Amino acid sequence: MAVGSCFARALTAAAGLALALACDGFGPGGAAAPRGTLRLNLGTEPPTLDWNRATDSVSITVIEQLMRGLTRLGPGLQPVPALAERWESSADGRTWRFHLRRDVRWSDGVPLEARHFVDGWRRLLDPETAAEYAYFLFDVEGARELNSGTSSDPETLGVRALGPHTLEVKLVASIVYFASITTFMVTFPVRLDLIDAHGDAWAEAGKLVTLGPFLLDEWLHEYRISLVRNPDFYAGPPPLERILGYMIEEGSPALVLFEQGLLDLVRLPPLEIRRYQDHPGYRHVPALRGYYYGFNTLKPPFDDVRVRRAFSMAIDRSQFPTLLRGGEIAAAYWLPPGMPNHNPEIGLRFDPEAARALLEAAGLDPTALDPIRVVYNTDQTHKLVAEKIQSEWQTHLGVRVELENREWKVFLRELAASPPAVYRLGWGADFPDPDNFMNLFTSWSANNHTNWENSKYDELVLEAARETDVSRRQELYDAAQRILCEDDAPIVPLFVSSVNLVVGERLRGFEPNPMDLLYLDQVWVE
Amino acid sequence: MIRYAALRLLQGVPVLLVVATITFALLRVIPGGPFDREKTLPPEILRNVEARYHLDEPVARQYLRYLGGILTGDLGPSYKYLGRDVTQILADAFPVSMELGSAALAISLLFGVSAGLAGAVRRGRAPDRVLGMLAVAGMSLPSFVLGAGLILGFGLWLGWLPAGLWEGPLSVVLPAITLAAAPAAYIARLTRSSVLDVIDMDFVRTARAKGVSEARVRRHHVLRNALLAVTTYFGPLLAMLLTGSFVVEKVFAIPGMGRFFVTAVTNRDYPLVLGVTLVYAALIVIANLAVDLLYAWLDPRIRLGRSKA
Repeated sequence: MAVGSCFARALTAAAGLALALACDGFGPGGAAAPRGTLRLNLGTEPPTLDWNRATDSVSITVIEQLMRGLTRLGPGLQPVPALAERWESSADGRTWRFHLRRDVRWSDGVPLEARHFVDGWRRLLDPETAAEYAYFLFDVEGARELNSGTSSDPETLGVRALGPHTLEVKLVASIVYFASITTFMVTFPVRLDLIDAHGDAWAEAGKLVTLGPFLLDEWLHEYRISLVRNPDFYAGPPPLERILGYMIEEGSPALVLFEQGLLDLVRLPPLEIRRYQDHPGYRHVPALRGYYYGFNTLKPPFDDVRVRRAFSMAIDRSQFPTLLRGGEIAAAYWLPPGMPNHNPEIGLRFDPEAARALLEAAGLDPTALDPIRVVYNTDQTHKLVAEKIQSEWQTHLGVRVELENREWKVFLRELAASPPAVYRLGWGADFPDPDNFMNLFTSWSANNHTNWENSKYDELVLEAARETDVSRRQELYDAAQRILCEDDAPIVPLFVSSVNLVVGERLRGFEPNPMDLLYLDQVWVE
Repeated sequence: MIRYAALRLLQGVPVLLVVATITFALLRVIPGGPFDREKTLPPEILRNVEARYHLDEPVARQYLRYLGGILTGDLGPSYKYLGRDVTQILADAFPVSMELGSAALAISLLFGVSAGLAGAVRRGRAPDRVLGMLAVAGMSLPSFVLGAGLILGFGLWLGWLPAGLWEGPLSVVLPAITLAAAPAAYIARLTRSSVLDVIDMDFVRTARAKGVSEARVRRHHVLRNALLAVTTYFGPLLAMLLTGSFVVEKVFAIPGMGRFFVTAVTNRDYPLVLGVTLVYAALIVIANLAVDLLYAWLDPRIRLGRSKA
């Protein structure tokens, strides 16, 4: 990581220089693109196109073009019909029935049937598949038992085909957002006959059979993936004839290729955002991604809630957008804007005097306190944030703060084994429901590194997951957020990140998405 | 000669085993595992994943399993690129690095040796000084600066060459020059000093006295002897250039294997780290053998595989 980040900094500087000169009008202008072909930068090689096993955003981006699930995210990030034309849930919210479209065919001509979902879900939960995201279906009856090996009978899983076009799902408890979970790729249907025929290579070009708007045409590993229009897509073929997804890891070389007219859509590296803010192709949207600092609530002085609140109140969050310049939004709340039940009123405000009073009430003499250790993973942005936090706490509270950085995997191991007193982390939504964010700090969450537990918080989050009444759900999440961000303050939310892209002038119909998903089925190139 | 080469290759086998063992041990010692994620895996899922890759077995058994795999040519599955074997990943990436590396090798040898020779025969004069300055620049300019400069000049300003990607012969030019600059400069310095050592020696003067033409003297008597020093450098250079460069591949977005030397470690993709390390080690063994064979060809006094009488 150290070599990589050192290199990245140097490269950004060098390519930045090249770009600065190029943007001033020295560029030769873009070469003409073949009509109807979109060339975008994926950033990295998708580790797999096996949607049961994929976990990363690049794989999701490609799979989203190739496949569809029961539902899909519509405007306002609400689930809308996709392969299921309608669905209903029982009065107790535990049984869901999905009615599939009858006009969907896989790209080899085989009609889609409900059993393909049953096969996919069983495969996802089969311990031998070793799917990292199997837990997305842990709310389905028998899922956890099947995945942990305590049951080996796939028939015990609460999903069955009631006919070729009806899928019934039984949940362990009522989950109001279940139709949002079925937008996620791990729940997509699979063809076991093809997996049996090709083994691990079933998701490679020439073998992969899908049913989405695009089909996999060619996959030059670590270099470029090529998708072509699916003429038989059930919703009608998309306008684009072809998508070429390049795997250019560094943002700056990708921008140079954009300037040379060889790419139509690239993500902006943080340092380049400012330069492109006036570019006609600049696209920006707040992401469902929060950035926070966590306290290990077992380590003094953060075992005292007054100290945690004081440290949270001693940070002027409004400075982060100016400091980082990536379109961030300062946030003292946890549920980001764009997420249902977001409430901007929640959170501890910047109040250094009240913060000092809290420290005094806790009987702490800041000057006598051992230095506070803040640990973050090696990265230029995280370093800037950590230095800002250090200066805020030193200035407003008079404590000494020591910063330590770690290589990513070393950092993660430390978080799992023995979390430092203060650490940084972020969270991006897997599906746009508040539960995906709020569940993080429940007592049973593996992602809660704070060692903080609050049974009231746990109950509120559980109750909200089952609550169908919109205003009641708002009340429950407001109450839970107040405990998390104000009363107990095991975490200090800092800001919400943004999606920042630049698109070529001939690209039409493209809008970025707060989930950072690229929807390309309504996009075309003039 | 063939017997000698076969023997040397056989001697390389234990070398590779030692390299594999040390790398295997180091990977198990460094903190952080392949499945440590920002989104922590629930324990039952982590167990399934570890079982799939046999990471739940005792380390000794994992080691034996790994050695068994190497001996049968199976480097195992990548932990990062699901469903792909390391052998397959390297088979995709190595040819790209080899193509780029061969071009860079040719450029560095051609320019390095010519510049070194030209500088030596015009010692102290203007061309020698200019070449000397160029060589210092070539050695000291980091490749990402040179790469960015070439992209700016030939890619964006002049628009003659692609600023990146791997789409045909033109794509090779800028990255190959970037990759070749430092070795070419080093070879130039090496050649120049070796030529200067040789140029005043008795056998050269004898050749001239016998009326051999100056061109023939330079080619046969001076250069051939001076190249011995360059040959020593050739072994590690060959392995380095053929296995790709992390920096050059990133700057020009080239799908070679150089990136894996860094990304496989940051991902803790143990089989891929071991795979690239073994390929690199094997190339070093082969390149060193090639160097020894070259020595024998360049210097008739060297007799391989025979002790002196």
